[in-house]
Amino acid sequence: MSVSPLHDIWEASASQPFQPSIGKSLQFTIGATLLFIALVLSGLFGLNNSLKNLPVYGIPASLAFGFGAVYMICAVGVYV
Amino acid sequence: MRLFNWALVALTSLASADSNLTHESRNILPSTFKPAQHFRNVNLVRNINLEKSFPRETINVVIENIDNAPQQEYFLPFEQGSIGRVGGLEVKDKKEPERTGFVVDVVEVDPYSTTEYYKITLPTPLPSKQQLTLSITYYALSALTPLPAQIGQTDKQYVLHTFSAYAPSAYTTSKQKTKLKLPTVDVPDATTLPPELNAEGKEDPQKQGTSFTYGPYNELPAGAVQEVSVRYDFTKPLVHGKLLERDVEVSHWGNNVAFEERHWLTNRAATLKNHFSRVTYAQSAYYNPPSSALKELRFPLAVGSADPYFVDDIGNVSTSRFRSNMREANLELKPRYPIFGGWNYSFKVGWNSDLKEFLRRVKGASNTYVLKVPFFEGPKQAEGVEYERVVTRIILPEGAKNIKFSTTITLTSNTTSLHRTFMDTMGRTSLELTALNVVDEFRERDLVVTYEYPFSARFRKPLVIFGGLMAVFAVSWVLGNLDVSIGRKQKSV
Repeated sequence: MSVSPLHDIWEASASQPFQPSIGKSLQFTIGATLLFIALVLSGLFGLNNSLKNLPVYGIPASLAFGFGAVYMICAVGVYV
Repeated sequence: MRLFNWALVALTSLASADSNLTHESRNILPSTFKPAQHFRNVNLVRNINLEKSFPRETINVVIENIDNAPQQEYFLPFEQGSIGRVGGLEVKDKKEPERTGFVVDVVEVDPYSTTEYYKITLPTPLPSKQQLTLSITYYALSALTPLPAQIGQTDKQYVLHTFSAYAPSAYTTSKQKTKLKLPTVDVPDATTLPPELNAEGKEDPQKQGTSFTYGPYNELPAGAVQEVSVRYDFTKPLVHGKLLERDVEVSHWGNNVAFEERHWLTNRAATLKNHFSRVTYAQSAYYNPPSSALKELRFPLAVGSADPYFVDDIGNVSTSRFRSNMREANLELKPRYPIFGGWNYSFKVGWNSDLKEFLRRVKGASNTYVLKVPFFEGPKQAEGVEYERVVTRIILPEGAKNIKFSTTITLTSNTTSLHRTFMDTMGRTSLELTALNVVDEFRERDLVVTYEYPFSARFRKPLVIFGGLMAVFAVSWVLGNLDVSIGRKQKSV
């Protein structure tokens, strides 16, 4: 019994369920790996604190930490 | 006085309907308002189903337009005070149940008037001299009163239901009868009406097993009332939810939808005559007789639900069981204590589900999603649960916009606001919907929400953290290379 246009949209989109980029079971692995990479790269940056190393280590470390933190908080049950 | 206030609150909030609905629902009328006699009820059959803890009334009525012009507005009267307890009023065309477009509004009348009206707007005006069969359904909350009001712990409970043998009507009714469906044959009292009133000269009520009939009655004027009451065995809890708050939190990153429900329940059943006896309670657990105490709550959840929790004011309640398999996911809760008449219990339950069951990408529109969740779930009890107020909050991902929603439950208000929680910079868009006087038979009703979730909003969380850590690295580089040595600066070679 379709009663509203929104219900029709729901029915029309039946072939397109939401596809996550990372499933729930992989969140911890991905999060932990990314956070570990971030830790190593931050350590390398700390060892040689120079302007040249800022893009070389800083940017990948920040990116890894950004995504790693999001996946890790999801993996522990705080779904952000 | 409280009931009166409550009715007033219900009225004013009902009238301030949401912008999603296109009809106008604010109608303030003078207290002398009387619906124009455009209609006549040719034949009316009212069924009152008393099998649950809230009466469900179905009025099947053949209406005829006796005016010369086509008419569209049909009024249904309620006694003042009782309209605030009426919920889930729905109208259908009995002959064409698929026909939609019946709009139901509460008409706001001067608060000192004794009668208040629901206004039913027909999908198309009914031409003169034409007939239409309406099927009007509604529930009445807090309508059963235990009598006696105090019973022993293992006693049978009897409840009293008072109503009018003549169906509420703002129009002349040519022919009508009222049928009662009772849960048992144990009915110690039912008001008898003299045979002179009955069209067939029989004494009312006519009993046949668990169904009682008042009528048929001949032509009655508008507003005719004949108060009658029945008292019957109902040794079950009268579960009444004062408030149900429900949160549905959507997480695209986590591929999860988190549900949480906070319940404030009370049992309207007869109160205990003496103190609660633990010994009697333990003894009765062996043969488990029917009881007016609420001992167990069952939540049938969507298949695939996981990580349930059941927490009350004290903390985790360990007397719960979660049965989950390929076909079902049932959450069986035992409250911390049996809830006898007049006792209260508040608790919260929550669970998670995979997002793909509830969320779809809208075909033909990138970055637009459609979410379909039950408006509320709550326990599913054989005796029924009634809720005074249900507040459902849909917490969408941060940055979601262009929100549209639709539900078949009558809402009294909707607001959109920001909800701030973990890892948020702006706050998540949340949609709060309120419904009054809802019963658990509506727990399957869906709420559909569409929203736009742009690419930029999706990456806000990791990029904010990325920016933060980059700032830390930059500051550490600046600070690390500051020359803070004492003495003459050494020239670099």
